[in-house]
Amino acid sequence: MRKFLRSIGLFSARLIGTRLTDFQTGCDLGKTLIIPWRGKVHVIGLKTAVRVVFLPQKRLTYWKQEIGFTTHPPPDFPNETSKMSADHGEKERD
Amino acid sequence: MQNVINVVLSHRVPNEVQRLAAYWESLLGGGNVLIAYGGPGESFNKIEFNPKIFIDDTRLRTLDHQREAQSYTAVFQEVSRWLRSQSRQGDYVTLFEFDHAPLARDLNARQVERMRAEHADVVAYHLARVDGTSHPHYLYYAANPEFARFFGNVSVRIDRQVVLSMFGTGSCWKREVVDAVAKFNEPFPVYFEIYLPTLAHHLGFRLRDYGEQNRFISNLGDRSAELESVRKRGAWTLHPVKNLTTILSSTSGR
Repeated sequence: MRKFLRSIGLFSARLIGTRLTDFQTGCDLGKTLIIPWRGKVHVIGLKTAVRVVFLPQKRLTYWKQEIGFTTHPPPDFPNETSKMSADHGEKERD
Repeated sequence: MQNVINVVLSHRVPNEVQRLAAYWESLLGGGNVLIAYGGPGESFNKIEFNPKIFIDDTRLRTLDHQREAQSYTAVFQEVSRWLRSQSRQGDYVTLFEFDHAPLARDLNARQVERMRAEHADVVAYHLARVDGTSHPHYLYYAANPEFARFFGNVSVRIDRQVVLSMFGTGSCWKREVVDAVAKFNEPFPVYFEIYLPTLAHHLGFRLRDYGEQNRFISNLGDRSAELESVRKRGAWTLHPVKNLTTILSSTSGR
């Protein structure tokens, strides 16, 4: 029953929610309901894992700032196992 | 040809496990399938297939996998131990859950080629960086300071905050990564889809994604009915396929 009610709630949130766009790539991030509540912002129904950032602004405005959403690029880290050997070597020498 | 060991994880009844293992061998050739059994101990002994290993770990046998922080650490440790006990060495280890159907006869060659092309030590489905995001698994572990402390202590990377997530099934690992990961025990229960890729990353290994093959791998539902259509669209594998009869009756290797 709880799952059913949650499904209805999520469906409604996505129906009336706002569509988010990745501010870096322009990709669609899905629809979500955003509710400020008790000093926090609640994001309901969003399926994509997003990062939140204050956006750079070309005009110097003291009265308004914008919060945007983006995602990490695909993981593309180099192999650094040589450091593992070096680290262990140092620890052994210590 | 590189030596690939395909670890097929199952908890099903012995007869079903045998049929599944036979299907794997009929598709990829004999001698490179290892059954890792996570079901009851008495059932393990009834499985008429070799090689097989028993995973005696309650943290593998979860129902709500995310909330109970399902663990594959014992699987890695047992596989690593089994590999060391064999005269025949594996260069690569793939890990497949029982409902992940292989479709291509040259699956292993494609996986190894993908790893070479990407200069990767591990390739996994739906690999993503999740630190600092709204990803629910990341947020849950971010609330526990022990999580960051553990990876900070083992990491050889400059940025020790990186957290990766991957899909649980279908990953392909260089043997040395399996052995390196198997040396660690989780500091506290951590869901393996976060723990394994993040640990491998912080040990210095390079992880990459399967790219366009990701579309054939999803977490919910039953895609048994799609077997033939995805094969025609170039799928190497398909997940989830809950209907074993569908897998076993499908024409293999086209």
